[in-house]
Amino acid sequence: MKILVIIPAYNEEKSIVNVIEKLKKDYPLADYIVINDCSTDDTLTVMKEHQYNYLDLPINLGIGGGVQSGYRYAYENHYDIAIQIDGDGQHDTGYLSRVIEPLQNNEADIVIGSRFIDKQGFQSSVMRRIGIRFLSDLIYLCCGTRVHDATSGFRGVNRTYIEAYARQYPQDYPEPEAIVESSLQGARIMEVPVVMKERENGSSSIHAWRSVYYMIKVSLAIILCRLSNKRRRKQ
Amino acid sequence: MTSTLRTVLSIVIILYFFIVVKLLKRKSLALKYTLLWLLMGIVMTVFVIFPDLLALIGHAVGILDGMNALFTASIGFSFCILMALTSIVSKQSDQIKKLIQNNALLEKRIRELENLEDTQIHKE
Repeated sequence: MKILVIIPAYNEEKSIVNVIEKLKKDYPLADYIVINDCSTDDTLTVMKEHQYNYLDLPINLGIGGGVQSGYRYAYENHYDIAIQIDGDGQHDTGYLSRVIEPLQNNEADIVIGSRFIDKQGFQSSVMRRIGIRFLSDLIYLCCGTRVHDATSGFRGVNRTYIEAYARQYPQDYPEPEAIVESSLQGARIMEVPVVMKERENGSSSIHAWRSVYYMIKVSLAIILCRLSNKRRRKQ
Repeated sequence: MTSTLRTVLSIVIILYFFIVVKLLKRKSLALKYTLLWLLMGIVMTVFVIFPDLLALIGHAVGILDGMNALFTASIGFSFCILMALTSIVSKQSDQIKKLIQNNALLEKRIRELENLEDTQIHKE
């Protein structure tokens, strides 16, 4: 089975080398591709120097459009499994096999690495946990799937959803929306425990002042997703 | 509607059509995005020619003053145009996103092909 690890990177010149070297050591069977989302620092130079496998977006697309180009790459190059991890080093690639195994055994279509199952490692701030909890409940209400770590960007999908995501993937803040959309299309979603670290360098894509906008936008997106998928589900 | 207002409005509408058609001829406006503007101009012309019609419609929906009916109608048209613009922008941003992704995917293929070519030249 061909496995691709998609690593979106925006201004990650300091951490990206560690991430890739650790990935190569932890899971040498997988290919990887870095999506340089038009970084303003030297991420691109680092890619070239180390001769890493990368896509270079000429215009910044944000996490949704960036990750989607990874799925398009996976689709065009006939990968069976695609895993996405963040480029900032907060996702420990030592747990990759946990995410990959259920996909290989065809036990799930989508596997999400969750930090809230074993409750080990970096658990994020209280406010964020409340926010994530709210999203988790909202997702459960809308599609009946319980995902504890709804905003986790550590996830893997099989060929069916590589194809689906290559065609259509939510933008802006895509993680919770992608869960709802896939779940309503009938995806088998599984959560596996992983340990996350606090980000090594750079800052999270969810800034404090954007939190309110984030919550409103994501909640609306989830509800809208539910409304527009209603009919499809019944069929 | 007073006759002065009708005269002023007529001039404004003629100017309006003049500008829209001029922009269309210069290709600064694409016709398919301008249809709404033209439609709005036509409806406005009808109202200026038959001011009683405007008052009639106004009364039917509970607007007593013909002028207010005119304002309401213009605001309504503006909303329609804004909505159309938002929908166009959304569609275009999706198209641009696809192009950016295609560009990146193609750039990678070119890079790989160039590397392949380089190594082949070295071998020779």
